[in-house]
Amino acid sequence: MSAQDNDKGGHDDHGHGHGHGSPFIQHHYDDAQHQFDSGKLGIWFFLVQEVLFFSGLFVAYILFRHHHPEVFAYASHYLDVKWGAINTAVLIVSSLSAAWAVRCAQLGQRRGLIACLVITLVCAFGFLGIKYIEYSHKFHERILWGHRFDPCVASGGAHLPNKSNQCDGVKSSVVWDFKTKKADRGCLDAETGYDWEPATPGIQARCQVAEIKIGVQGNERREVGRRAIEMCEAAAGHGQPHKPVPCWALVENRHVCPKGPAAMVYYGDKAVRTDVEIEAVCEAAPAPAAPEDAFAHAADRPAPGQATLTRQAPPTKHDLQVAWSNGPPPQNTNMFFSIYFAMTGLHGLHVLAGIFVYIWLLVRALKGHFTPEYFGPVDYAALYWHLVDLIWIFLFPLLYLIH
Amino acid sequence: MSASVDNTKSFLEVSPGIRNWLYTLDHKRIGLMYLCGILFSLLLGGAFALLVRTALFSPGLTIVGQDWYNKFFTLHGAVMVFLVIIPGIPAALGNMVLPVQLGAPDVAFPKLNLASFYLWCSGAFLLLLATALGDVDTGWTFYTPYSLESQTAVIPAVAGAFVLGFSSIFTGLNFLVTIHKFRPAHMGWFQMPLNLWALYATALMQVLATPVLGITLLLLFVERFMQIGIFDPTLGGDPVLFQHCFWFYSHPAVYIMIVPAMGVISEMITTFSRKHIFGYRFIAYSSVALALFSFLVWGHHMFVSGQSRLANMVFSALTFSVGIPSAIKVFNWTATLYKGDIRLDTPMLYVLSFLILFTIGGLTGIFLAVLSIDVHLHDTYFVVAHFHYVMMGSTLVAFIGALHYWWPKFTGRMYPEALGKLCAWGVFVGFNLTFLPQFVMGSRGMPRRYWDFDPEYTLYHRLSTIGAFLLGISLFVVVCYLAWSLKRGKKATQNPWGGTTLEWVAPTPPTTFNFPEPPPEVELYDYDDLVEVPNANEDGVTNWERRPATGKPAKAHH
Ligand code: HEM
Ligand SMILES: [Cu+2]
Repeated sequence: MSAQDNDKGGHDDHGHGHGHGSPFIQHHYDDAQHQFDSGKLGIWFFLVQEVLFFSGLFVAYILFRHHHPEVFAYASHYLDVKWGAINTAVLIVSSLSAAWAVRCAQLGQRRGLIACLVITLVCAFGFLGIKYIEYSHKFHERILWGHRFDPCVASGGAHLPNKSNQCDGVKSSVVWDFKTKKADRGCLDAETGYDWEPATPGIQARCQVAEIKIGVQGNERREVGRRAIEMCEAAAGHGQPHKPVPCWALVENRHVCPKGPAAMVYYGDKAVRTDVEIEAVCEAAPAPAAPEDAFAHAADRPAPGQATLTRQAPPTKHDLQVAWSNGPPPQNTNMFFSIYFAMTGLHGLHVLAGIFVYIWLLVRALKGHFTPEYFGPVDYAALYWHLVDLIWIFLFPLLYLIH
Repeated sequence: MSASVDNTKSFLEVSPGIRNWLYTLDHKRIGLMYLCGILFSLLLGGAFALLVRTALFSPGLTIVGQDWYNKFFTLHGAVMVFLVIIPGIPAALGNMVLPVQLGAPDVAFPKLNLASFYLWCSGAFLLLLATALGDVDTGWTFYTPYSLESQTAVIPAVAGAFVLGFSSIFTGLNFLVTIHKFRPAHMGWFQMPLNLWALYATALMQVLATPVLGITLLLLFVERFMQIGIFDPTLGGDPVLFQHCFWFYSHPAVYIMIVPAMGVISEMITTFSRKHIFGYRFIAYSSVALALFSFLVWGHHMFVSGQSRLANMVFSALTFSVGIPSAIKVFNWTATLYKGDIRLDTPMLYVLSFLILFTIGGLTGIFLAVLSIDVHLHDTYFVVAHFHYVMMGSTLVAFIGALHYWWPKFTGRMYPEALGKLCAWGVFVGFNLTFLPQFVMGSRGMPRRYWDFDPEYTLYHRLSTIGAFLLGISLFVVVCYLAWSLKRGKKATQNPWGGTTLEWVAPTPPTTFNFPEPPPEVELYDYDDLVEVPNANEDGVTNWERRPATGKPAKAHH
């Protein structure tokens, strides 16, 4: 584009009124061609500017990926390749229709132009719609950036307890109510690993906690088995094991609450599975919450009296999932999502801007402004749109397709 | 732009009224509006500078304590860099001059030009808002992680700098396209005035570097709002990445400041030496070379920020290479002076100041590029003195000089010459008095950005403060007499300095589309057949007219 700058003949006749063909040719240009060429060069420089604008993020991406390859390998499995691929296709189609729109405008095919603009717009909305689905899922699961990264599931789909104790809804496990000291909802199904009825209280037994054994160094431990255990521990008094203290704890039993929170320990921001064992004396199991509770089989409830509750149930699907997936998130996994949201967010804003541009073009096309002599804006917008598309084509593999 | 525009009257008179100015698409009016904003910001930034200098008059508590001191120097830096020096020459003077020097009716995208101006206003507003909201104390560099924690109004300040960045990008884009597409048929690249080469190189940097600042500030902004974690070490982010991104812009930004200054200096030095510029191609190419090199040396700001040794060595070596194109220019300018018929009008006094100050500023930059020396000098007053020699001593001095040079053309009035000369001396002396002592105390270990100091530095700080007041007063008087001359100044002639570029062929002041008739082809930097005509108008102002020299035919054609 910059090579042909010199080939434009002199524009020595400017500076005084002379008629131009289209009403949209501005007065300070020599003619329609001059205006078009200037606009085109301008948009190319603008695109260069855009590339550099994104470059900062790409540099950050390279840097963090270089420093934390394990994070990227782990975290990209959180992203749904299916949606990413569909969006790639959607954008490619829209790029095609954007290019076609230029052709139609050049040939003066008004209907074709309008159709192509509409297709481009529909695709752009489709893209943002899909992005919305992806984002809202991530918000739900707390797969977010910074301190907000507190996922309910591991990247393979296995459940994780989370720090903020609020994986309600979708696939959550158990929620502990600090006030009543009861698990107030949720109970995982051992087979499916899903919380079938998040609203229903889990089944608990009232136990006396005798000892909590944790297979890690004591002072690294911040929060044991979600705060439920912590509270038991506090009540039991540090350094005084074997002193039974009444406390509510979730019973580790595959038929009751197979995935009690006791199976997790937090180190800082990192949740790790560990071999927590709780020894407790159970008094009684409360009655099932409702007769139709799928898990409430009397026979499976722990009998009153002494019982040692350890995690010795056979591996559940949950365990298997954890084993298949990369386990709990490595440290700094939040960084992947910082990058992910920054890049896709900025890209999404560009799509949004493109939507406004295309609406404007559509209005003008409906008014019949574009003619074979004057179609610059359609051309410039298409160039912009191709760039937005191109950036996505880089983002898709860089974010979604990491092994 | 309607076809009914009157292209016979001066652009100042054609459609009066504040509305017509605020909605104008005329590049000269936009340039003048920038100029007002920039001069206002200059006074504001200057006031902050004087507060800083007053606070440093004596050790211990003077007028303010450390919190206010931090705010003062931050606002001084941010206002001067983002509102004054970066837009000064390109957006204000460039806007006025560039299309006229091309013989074009306007810039390529007049609406975008107006939009850039309003972006500039919005950015300026945000910066002022930050001031009103209780100031910012991070320094103009906004380094993380402090800028993430500071309780001051970092967000509006960062937003302001971001918006100003886009104003700068769009101006650059506009200029690039204008220079590519609006050159008349007879003006090849090497028939362009050197000012246009400089503006071209500047615009390239504006378009290529500023977006990186944009994304960096955007991330900082988001980081403060939502703790996204890119720069925050407590979340796994990398605060040094901020420095890299910041200097990737801000080093080119110092060339965004200096290269256009070099452009106007090239124009003025040949005009006032009445001699063809020496080494046209060298000057032209070195502008572009500076623009390209400027992208490769940002690491010299981070020698002590934990860069690898290798990176330090490479950046140090590359930084030396930047001295080459800079020196080429100085040699060519000096050679232009040699055996010239030098006229010491006010603009020329600024040109000569520039030559001296830029040489000092550039050479001390080379000192700083030496790794072992920089470890000692980094974050001392030596650096402060270095960059003031280049930013203020060079760019601002060139800006003020060029303002005097083109003032008659675009306002139609002469400034008072005697006062002008006096102030030029005031600026030169005041400047050196302010900043020479800073080299000394910096090399003796006085750290920058400190509100208090060891009594051993008192003498230097006092000298510096006195110089700053001399400098401040001189500049204030300049702004005052320029404003005064708008109404009272002598009427200017078409070519009061005897310049050879196209703007001196245009009417004074130019018409809306600059030239009522298509501009002729001019012989660039050819002073042979320009003849001085004293007392050419009723106010007794000189004019230079083209007369066919003996044997040569006149060059009016088309
Ligand atoms: C001859 C070419 C130049 C060289 C070799 C050079 C070199 C350097 C070096 C090595 C530093 C870092 C010192 C430190 O922080 O320890 C520096 C700082 C600086 N230079 Fe230059 N410089 C040159 C020209 C310029 C020009 C033309 C400008 C502006 C118009 C400029 C503006 C600055 C600024 C603003 C800083 C300090 C920024 C800050 O830390 O706040 N320099 N220069
Ligand atoms: Cu630098």
